[in-house]
Amino acid sequence: MAARNPKTGKPTEASLFGLLKPYAFLISLLVLMTILSNGLNLAVPQIVASAVDSFTKGNFVLTTVIIEFFLVALSIFIFTYLQNIVQTYASERVARDLRTDLAAKISVQDYAYIQRANPAKLLTNLTSDVDAIKSFVAQAIASIISSAFLIIGASVLLLLINWRLALAVLITVPLIATVFYIVLGKVRKLFRKQQEAIDWLNKVINESILGSALIRLLNSQQYEYQKFLAANTEAKNIGFSILRLFASLIPVITFVTNFATLTILTLGGHFVITGSMSLGDFTAFNSYLAILIFPILIIGFMSNVIAQAQASYQRIFEVIKAEHRKDTGHLTAKLHGDIEVKNVFVTFGEKMALKDVSFTAKAKTKTAIIGPTAAGKTQLLYLLTGLLEPTSGLVEYDHKPIDQYVKQSLHQQVGFVFQDSIIFNLTLRENIAFSNTVKDKDIEKAIDTAELRDFIEAFPQKLDTVVSERGTSLSGGQKQRIMLARALALNPKILLLDDFTARVDTQTEQKVLKNVQKNYPDITLVSVTQKISSIEHYDQIILLMEGEILAIGTHHELMQKSPEYVQIFNSQQSTNNYELHS
Amino acid sequence: MNYTLNSSGLSGEKVTLGMALKRLVPFLAGEKKNVIVAFTAIIVNSSSNLLGPIIIGFTVDHYIQTKDFNGVLMYSALLLCIYAAGLVASYIQTITMGGVGRRVLFNLRNAVFTKLQELPVAFFNQNKAGDLISRINNDTDKLNQFFAQALMQFVGNFFLILGAGMFLLTLNIRLGGAALLPALGVLIATQLLSAWVKRKNLESLQSLGGMSAEIQESLENFKVIVAFNRLDYFRKKFNEANEKNYTASVGAGVASNIFVPIYGLASNIAQLIVLSFGIYLISAGNFTIGLLIGFLLYVNSFYNPLRQLGSLWASLQLALAALDRISEVLALKSNMVVIPSHHVKSEFLMEFKNVTFGYPNGKIVLKNIELGFKKGHTYALVGPTGGGKTTTASLMARLYDPTEGTVVLDGKDIRSYDPAERAKKIGFILQEPFLFTGTLRENILYGNAKYLHYTNEELREILEQHSLSKLLARFEQGLDTKIATSGDAISLGQKQLIAFIRAVIREPEMLILDEATANIDTVTEQLLDEILNKLPKQTTKIIIAHRLNTINNADQICFVNAGEITPAGSMEHALELLLHGKRKS
Repeated sequence: MAARNPKTGKPTEASLFGLLKPYAFLISLLVLMTILSNGLNLAVPQIVASAVDSFTKGNFVLTTVIIEFFLVALSIFIFTYLQNIVQTYASERVARDLRTDLAAKISVQDYAYIQRANPAKLLTNLTSDVDAIKSFVAQAIASIISSAFLIIGASVLLLLINWRLALAVLITVPLIATVFYIVLGKVRKLFRKQQEAIDWLNKVINESILGSALIRLLNSQQYEYQKFLAANTEAKNIGFSILRLFASLIPVITFVTNFATLTILTLGGHFVITGSMSLGDFTAFNSYLAILIFPILIIGFMSNVIAQAQASYQRIFEVIKAEHRKDTGHLTAKLHGDIEVKNVFVTFGEKMALKDVSFTAKAKTKTAIIGPTAAGKTQLLYLLTGLLEPTSGLVEYDHKPIDQYVKQSLHQQVGFVFQDSIIFNLTLRENIAFSNTVKDKDIEKAIDTAELRDFIEAFPQKLDTVVSERGTSLSGGQKQRIMLARALALNPKILLLDDFTARVDTQTEQKVLKNVQKNYPDITLVSVTQKISSIEHYDQIILLMEGEILAIGTHHELMQKSPEYVQIFNSQQSTNNYELHS
Repeated sequence: MNYTLNSSGLSGEKVTLGMALKRLVPFLAGEKKNVIVAFTAIIVNSSSNLLGPIIIGFTVDHYIQTKDFNGVLMYSALLLCIYAAGLVASYIQTITMGGVGRRVLFNLRNAVFTKLQELPVAFFNQNKAGDLISRINNDTDKLNQFFAQALMQFVGNFFLILGAGMFLLTLNIRLGGAALLPALGVLIATQLLSAWVKRKNLESLQSLGGMSAEIQESLENFKVIVAFNRLDYFRKKFNEANEKNYTASVGAGVASNIFVPIYGLASNIAQLIVLSFGIYLISAGNFTIGLLIGFLLYVNSFYNPLRQLGSLWASLQLALAALDRISEVLALKSNMVVIPSHHVKSEFLMEFKNVTFGYPNGKIVLKNIELGFKKGHTYALVGPTGGGKTTTASLMARLYDPTEGTVVLDGKDIRSYDPAERAKKIGFILQEPFLFTGTLRENILYGNAKYLHYTNEELREILEQHSLSKLLARFEQGLDTKIATSGDAISLGQKQLIAFIRAVIREPEMLILDEATANIDTVTEQLLDEILNKLPKQTTKIIIAHRLNTINNADQICFVNAGEITPAGSMEHALELLLHGKRKS
């Protein structure tokens, strides 16, 4: 079952049986229960037969038979139900643990990995793929193991009765195994493709939900439907290919085993006629063959489940075994707030996002980053939070490289207000106190600073109001201020603002920034912005263009030495005079 | 309008076999022929299975014992033919019913997705993406599995039971009746348990939907989780959902698995009854031991398929629970239908007549608004955050309908417009630009049939005509720039540029910009201003912005706050209102 990961070339061994190792006890219990309930089932005809025998012999006692029979029937009931319960329990536990493992793995991955791995696929991994493995444990294991027992047992009995005839019959077993091997080899690829089609469906549905407003504005529902139809048709076609393989597999296997019966009839018949075999043995041979056929069929039916589980497990395995960045940090020191970026380059494929960027920001100072759209401003902030790794160069806090800090400690001291509003379907309190160390006092301070007090008080449930997913009931500015409060609630030493002022009206913006100065006097501020009027008094302004720093200095210095800055300044002049007298 | 899906389902209701199957029948419409073919195939297949042992027995009795090898060969050939027939029949049965299942799955997924497209934006605000995905992908698959794997066995076994039951009764009415008694018990138990089993399955599917929603939300917003060091929190929330799903699934499993042991028990009790009652009858001289042995075998052929039915019954309950969740979506009706057209007197391109709007949570955002927008004029909506600007714009584009009053577009109630016509008239650049995975070209032509088949060259010509070339030049790969929905490969400002291009080339009569350029630098913004100024004279522009330079060319500035829209006389007046005016947000 070894497969090579096409990307890394590293062998990835995804064995379903390896997966089950930790559950050896449960699985053994399951097998035991299966054997017990099936074994007891075989006892029923025995009881009936002996009852009939004793009746003909005249020593029949009804009550004994009833008690005996009833006890067996009850035991069968109990063991069958127990078997089913153990089966459910085992399969659900495997599924739950697998999901936990997946989530744990995802949670140690960095942001770039999630982007690469694609959330739609991870969703399939955690739901549909895990389900396939669950079905495998629930349906396949017990029946395969008990079938294997029956096949081996019946084969031994056949060989004991007449080895020549037995060999003629058992020749079908490798034949069947070969058919399985070929079909399962083909079908595994198809199952993998099927899961990929589900990834695709997930993506189309997800985009149609996230973009629902746009779709309705442009009346493009029909187009969305066509996209969905393409994905759905692909899923259907793969489904049909799988169906065609299995629709022939199972009848072929039945036919091959039936052919064994036919062999017994002709060849065995010949042996009986020539006198080399007794009629009794011939009859026994037939009944043992019946025992042999049934488990082979079961395995045939289960091959579907196994193949699907195998394909899904391979997909899950790749996620679980993917490399992840180790947290190399050991520093947990309280930050003073000095930031230094040294010769940083960031490239995405061929595209260079940041070119040789260097600057320092002293503790408790204010730095603004200004520049045109797609200049790399957001990337620069991502670097400062460790969401993005420089391709080369260094990011330092208090003169120590960022990767020497324990991530946890760093994230608690660096507050980041993202440009796009990200609100969780949680209460306002949980959205603001998003980190686990936040104290009530800090929440209150953050709320006041972000001017959210009135907004929160307007809700009957105050901070315990649940915000809808994607925060659709809130205005852009409200979301932005909640995000600010979220960052401030950490009581950070460093605050990174990404275009915070874009969606907040001037009056609120000024109040909020004043509050930040008052309530968090020691904070080191790095703010990406478009608006010069609010940063004129900053300690330094960095002008970034196409990933390069064009100029660094105070407002006055830049007005003197940077024509690009002057151009930006001029572009905002038409209204500045209005703002000045406010 | 409340669009919240709660999945209470129909769990209180007792489901009989007939009712259950009846609910599934509509999905088989158009499959009648296939079902008949599959059914014929299953009969042929079962007959071949039954005939095999009979022929073997016959051959042994008549040819092997008489040492006639030619006879053996002849009957072996017959057996081969029968097996071959079985091979073909079983292939036909599997492929036909499997095909039915796949098509049901395909059609159901399409139906649910189409329904989602019919529903208004409000629906998406009230439901979680992950749960909806789960309904479209997972729940429909449960139905597929039932149709593909269980239905035919279900029907086949049902007829076997019916046949064997009748045979038992004709053989000996008293003994037969006694033998069928446990089956009656099973029937009652099934009736009593089905609702419970289905409810448990529904809970399990619901928790799967919930978990899916949890994963979806976390993965979409992963960067916040990383930056705020809440990976532990992600794990915890996920583990809660996972644990909940585990409990619900185990519950569903324990419930669903009750049928098989019960049916098995009934089968054994029937044997016991026949044995005891048969022996009693023999003692009374009404029956023979030979008949009893035969009878016991027939009891098995009644109860074996019944036992199979037990496990199939559980998959039926699961399918029904899934159907509940799907039906819940399919049953939703959009309350934003197109009403019959009637003329409304209005001197404006767009007019709000006594418009009041509140969200389902009861929050009133706009109260009795009377406002007109003239053709060819530019309007700016300003006001504090949360004041109702975006809501006003959304009403203009009919993303929502007003709770009271009418929005009039070009002399007609906006609700009377065909969506295509409305979309042509109104361009709306949303506050949060949304791009689809694909290329820049696909995104700017999204929902634009007119230019869809243009070559890149022709499209560049169109962009040039609209002075948009300079914006396109900001993307290194131009029209072929790759775009992913989730991801920061392109910046928010760039997304806004693309959304801007997308809206402008549609040449709408009314263009609404809802903070559409908020994250674009001011130099580029001047360029956007120029582009807007070059739009046809009759284009009405509605601009929502915080940045004042974006709005100072407006013919009219409106101050939106606390449910009211107040026209401001001048820029100074607007600023006065904005900076010092009453605030209530």
